[in-house]
Amino acid sequence: MSQLSLYSVHAVLLLDSQGNRIYTKYYNPPHDENNTIFTNDSNLPKTLKKQIEFEKSLVKKTHKQDSEILIFENNLVIYKEYLDLTIYLIGSLDENEIILQQAFAAIRDSLDLILESGIDKKNIQEHYDMVLLIIDETIDNGIILETDSATIASRATKPPANEPQLTLDLDKGLMSAWGFAKNKLQERLQQGL
Amino acid sequence: MSTRTYKKFEASDSGDIPDKMTIYQDCMNQFNESPVNSKRCRTLLSRLLRLLANGETFTESEATALFFSVSKLFQHQNDSLRQLVYLAIKELSKISQDVLMATSSIMKDVQNGSDLIKPNAIRSLTVVLDETTAFSAERLLKSAMVSKHPTISSAAIATCYNLLPVSEQTIKRFSNEAQEAIVDLKYFPQDPSNTEFYPNSTFITQYHALGLIYELKKNDKMALLKLVNQFAGNNSIKSQIAKVQLVKIVSELVNKDPQLFTQFQPLFNNWLGNKFESIQLETAKLITNFHATHPRLVAPQLFSIAIATLQNLLSVPRVATRFSALRILNRLSMVTPDHVAVCNPELESLINDSNRNISTYAITILLKTGTAKNISSLISTITKFIHEVSDDFKIIIIDAVRTLSLNFPQEWKSILNFLIDVLKNGEGGFKFKNNIVEAIIDVVAFVPQSKEMALENLCDFIEDCEFNEILVRVLHLLGKEGPTASNPSLYVRHIYNRVVLENSIIRSASVIALSKFAISKNDTSLRESIVSLLKRIANDKDDEVRDRATIALKFIDTSTANEPTSSLADELIHPTSAYDLASLESKLSSYLSENNDSFKTPFDVTNIRKYSDDELKAINLKRKQEQLQKGTFENGMESSPKMAKKSDNKYGKRIDSDTYSSPNIDEQQQELLDTKYSDELLSMAEFQNFGKLVNSSKIVALTEPEAEFVVRGIKHIFKDHVVFQFNITNTLTDVALDNVVVSCNPEEPEESQLQELFIIPIERLLPSAEASCYIAYSKTEDVVTESFLNTITFTTKELDPQTNEPFEADEGFQDEYEIDTLYLSTGDYIKSSFIGNFTATFDELPNEEVAVYNIQESITLQEVVDKLITSTSCLPLENTQFVHSDTNSHILKLFGKSALNGSKVALVIKLIKSSKGIALKAQGKAENATLCSDLVNNLI
Repeated sequence: MSQLSLYSVHAVLLLDSQGNRIYTKYYNPPHDENNTIFTNDSNLPKTLKKQIEFEKSLVKKTHKQDSEILIFENNLVIYKEYLDLTIYLIGSLDENEIILQQAFAAIRDSLDLILESGIDKKNIQEHYDMVLLIIDETIDNGIILETDSATIASRATKPPANEPQLTLDLDKGLMSAWGFAKNKLQERLQQGL
Repeated sequence: MSTRTYKKFEASDSGDIPDKMTIYQDCMNQFNESPVNSKRCRTLLSRLLRLLANGETFTESEATALFFSVSKLFQHQNDSLRQLVYLAIKELSKISQDVLMATSSIMKDVQNGSDLIKPNAIRSLTVVLDETTAFSAERLLKSAMVSKHPTISSAAIATCYNLLPVSEQTIKRFSNEAQEAIVDLKYFPQDPSNTEFYPNSTFITQYHALGLIYELKKNDKMALLKLVNQFAGNNSIKSQIAKVQLVKIVSELVNKDPQLFTQFQPLFNNWLGNKFESIQLETAKLITNFHATHPRLVAPQLFSIAIATLQNLLSVPRVATRFSALRILNRLSMVTPDHVAVCNPELESLINDSNRNISTYAITILLKTGTAKNISSLISTITKFIHEVSDDFKIIIIDAVRTLSLNFPQEWKSILNFLIDVLKNGEGGFKFKNNIVEAIIDVVAFVPQSKEMALENLCDFIEDCEFNEILVRVLHLLGKEGPTASNPSLYVRHIYNRVVLENSIIRSASVIALSKFAISKNDTSLRESIVSLLKRIANDKDDEVRDRATIALKFIDTSTANEPTSSLADELIHPTSAYDLASLESKLSSYLSENNDSFKTPFDVTNIRKYSDDELKAINLKRKQEQLQKGTFENGMESSPKMAKKSDNKYGKRIDSDTYSSPNIDEQQQELLDTKYSDELLSMAEFQNFGKLVNSSKIVALTEPEAEFVVRGIKHIFKDHVVFQFNITNTLTDVALDNVVVSCNPEEPEESQLQELFIIPIERLLPSAEASCYIAYSKTEDVVTESFLNTITFTTKELDPQTNEPFEADEGFQDEYEIDTLYLSTGDYIKSSFIGNFTATFDELPNEEVAVYNIQESITLQEVVDKLITSTSCLPLENTQFVHSDTNSHILKLFGKSALNGSKVALVIKLIKSSKGIALKAQGKAENATLCSDLVNNLI
């Protein structure tokens, strides 16, 4: 029976208010081609063209509705609309709504944790790498991996610091070292003031 | 590449996505550089992934090159870069070749990576391993599974789950580890380096482990039972989502073996009081779904606790919870509305919920649970509400009102007023208006009293309607129902207005409608006016309109002439019966494809079943009733996801298919099958001289569905003959049956009124094939009822697996197989039929017969009612086919017509349930006295 499968999430979408893609991921059970064990019960569109159509009509349907949860073309959709984007999580009709709601909340809350100035399109695009990690750590191939937002946020690493460029290059002579130190000192002092 | 070009796209990070080929080039350059600049690489990878997430793809060779470059980044030991590398590997592996080459780097990380990177490494194994390499990761996966770190363990279990289709054998060896992962409560280790977030274990590993174990043992009932018993009672499962999974496993178990339900009842009680709403909901869903299929096994007390739980959940602040509870109640309200009625106060307060989905659900449920008492107040509530919601919701509400009109025909006035109000004042598109008109057409068809009022208002509506299709439908309805109304001339004016004002499509529809008034019995003076109108129309500029007018004039002319052909003309103007469209279609297409004499023989329509108006109504009503009963529970049935999907496609745009279910596919197939069987029968030479097929019974199962030979019987009634058709399916895999004959022996051979004529045996029945054996009897013209003991005799022959033919030397041996008794009952001679005013008709019928029965088995009233409906093949009227579950008495009203001569028969059956059993008093009235007594005396 499909409802006992761990593949409970069929898609995660981040769309802007016009329905353009910011992030989209449609999940299909892996190794689908020789799959005799799991039947893919997702009835989401498979081709890019149909998916985009689906997304556009979904945005149209949910825009300014403020209803959090609905059934759309025989999918259970949980969503939250922000100023200029909407986060969607789509599952099958048979899935427990609260479980999906928790998976959704996990993504939403951990995004809130890592994006210091809140969820909006610009922030998402600037921290796209971390957004990718957050979603990947929450859902793997449609399996809900984790629902605790702090755990998820702690697993999404920040981009590495700019290592080699920042180290002080002694070849450039003492003067530049002095200049660097001066600058730094000035900065500190200003901050202190 | 230079820093400058790189910088150029730095800014674009926040805006549009850079060009695909630029990214490709940048990736190829940057990833192959040494030393690796981890920050830049991570930014590039993130851009690459963004491209992919937006639907861009690379060609296979590009993807392979990218994959190769990305895997070079494994040299760089930076966790934060590595995480993105894994994401890229997962995405690229779908389109690139040679993904296996990354395996060794990944394996290294699985063994020696940091706790942060290990789970990512493990999960990426899903995409790089295949059937041939999966076993190589066995040891690593096993040790990761028992890791104390929850994320690592979860990652390993999820990966095993993903790998199941390709390496079931390997994963099967993991069940001990998985079991251990359920028992072991894993906490996050104290990590001083991570001070920003404080991970808190939700023990979700238990969920993954439970899911994996279920997949491994899903066919082993005992193992699953053990699993449930081990974890259900105590508190060892901490994860909420794992508990929900456990409920689902129990649901699967009880659906496969309903007898287990009783044993789990205390557990369900416990779960309904669980602190997690998700578990309460899942358990309530389980109980209510199970109740729909096995109502007798659910203790009424438990059922009412489940409803009470749902009722409580209706007033929680969380939207998802309310929504979920409403969905369950909605499904329930279609089957047992009286149980849901206790939630009405909560539902009424939800009507004004700010979430439109929730308020619409609440209203539709209320409409279904509505009783005769509160319907009119409910309708006035919706009248205020409906203009504020969107079209989709309006349609749902209209559909609910439409069902209401079937359930409460006596409330037609308020229902019709509501429909007319929304039709005239509601703003909405074609779909919405069409739904209203359909609902009104339904009301007119099934509640004859409402006809005049509905028609008058529809006339007003068409004066100002922009949709051609709806106009045409209304005109057709006016033409059909108008001539029999008390004041037909009223409608003529409205229809003629259309002729003057509208386009040619509507004009031609109006012509047909007008011509029907010419033979109106209520106002004979109309004929002349119609003729003069039609004469004027005969000069229309459109061909179709002109043709229709001319032909209508001709018909009217003939029918006035009082010649022998006049009744034929009447029939053509106002047809009283319609062909069975499905069989007409199949006949016509076979006629076209055969075409052996270039269409010299005309197409023969006499063999196609015809339905009269009443019969059609009966069929429609039946279908609607069944829709209400069955279609809605598709979620609860095991075998239906496919079926549900089929119907979903049909109604693709409907926002919620379970508020109004599409026609039950099974039922339609059943009907098609019926037609197919009778077509087959009539095409056989042996039956040619039997004349017209009068009636075919439903398909009756004569064996258990899992028997070696599955036999199903159909009874075909002719005027002087009866033919039994036995459909036999050979479920054995290696044995063919030769010369299969069903021998039917009347139970009382001396008194048999049937003469066996001939048998058409099945020559050879191959494994898993189905074929039919026919037995023909001659009978008198009267209703003959008898029961037959049946045995199948055949010669079994073993098959050569190579040729699929029996071994030549094999002579086979004779065998017999006994199947259930086939009853030829009075019901087989009756066709269900619709009548608008049951009580009046019942009183008018001349012959009366009364019989009393006592049923001592312990079955519910509903089951008795269902049985009676099938055995009499009559149509239940006035919504009496549903028994209120809390009463001990019921009155069932049935109506049908004899298939032989069309004489009416009506039954009122009163049932009373007591501790001793069920007492049943049947009062039958019919035009034909023998039919009446036969039917009443052979009810059970």
